[in-house]
Amino acid sequence: MIRITEEAWQVMVDHAQRQYPNECCGAMLGVVRPEASRTAADAAASEKTIVVKEITRAVPLTNNYQGEQADRYEINPMDLMKTDKEAREEGLELIGIYHSHPDCDAYFSKTDLENSCPWYSFVVLSIQKGVFDHANSFLPNAEQTHAEPETLLIPTPKTA
Amino acid sequence: MAKVSIPTPLRQFTEQKDTVEYAGATVGEVLNGLTGQFGGLRQHLFNDEGKLRNFVNIYLNDEDIRYLEKTDTAVSDSDTITIIPSIAGGLN
Repeated sequence: MIRITEEAWQVMVDHAQRQYPNECCGAMLGVVRPEASRTAADAAASEKTIVVKEITRAVPLTNNYQGEQADRYEINPMDLMKTDKEAREEGLELIGIYHSHPDCDAYFSKTDLENSCPWYSFVVLSIQKGVFDHANSFLPNAEQTHAEPETLLIPTPKTA
Repeated sequence: MAKVSIPTPLRQFTEQKDTVEYAGATVGEVLNGLTGQFGGLRQHLFNDEGKLRNFVNIYLNDEDIRYLEKTDTAVSDSDTITIIPSIAGGLN
């Protein structure tokens, strides 16, 4: 399960909406810790603990794809290395990668899968006509042939 | 001894060490030293054919070894080898 704090989530949504109609990409930093499960089904079954990835900081990165960025993104490995180093200095971990799908649903595409890495969670934000619509998280396998959906908890939108 | 910098998700296989040091004349020898000591790392870096996985980039200092001599790239004691994933995607 991955849970994103309000502050980090706002950075991600703002970034995705600002880059529209292009794809944006960035890193998600936070902590991984076990927590007691809160779902009734789990509680009934046992005193189950689950691993929760808590994202406390989002870091917008440059879309380094050399070409039309409306439907592609690429992260410069050196940017990722720098972010990983900064995370460690702050006592955080690089837990995931986020990117946006402009005017498309938040699925994990063939291109996403073929260029993924199983070490991280991948959050996809669907931006429809410039406005955030929905998001999903995925865990790709090492063979880049399948991505498992991951439970994603995002802050409830504030009502105006 | 060349330094190897380990990305966060792989530190669980290196007793939480973020940097380790190995002797070796080439990048391949240093990586063999690494996976020899920490066996759990091997399947994360290499596929069943023993080749580096697609998403694994190995940098010698600031250069991708793909553009050097790959795993045959010569290493000196002051060098740092960094393991960084390659990440991209798209709509289709």
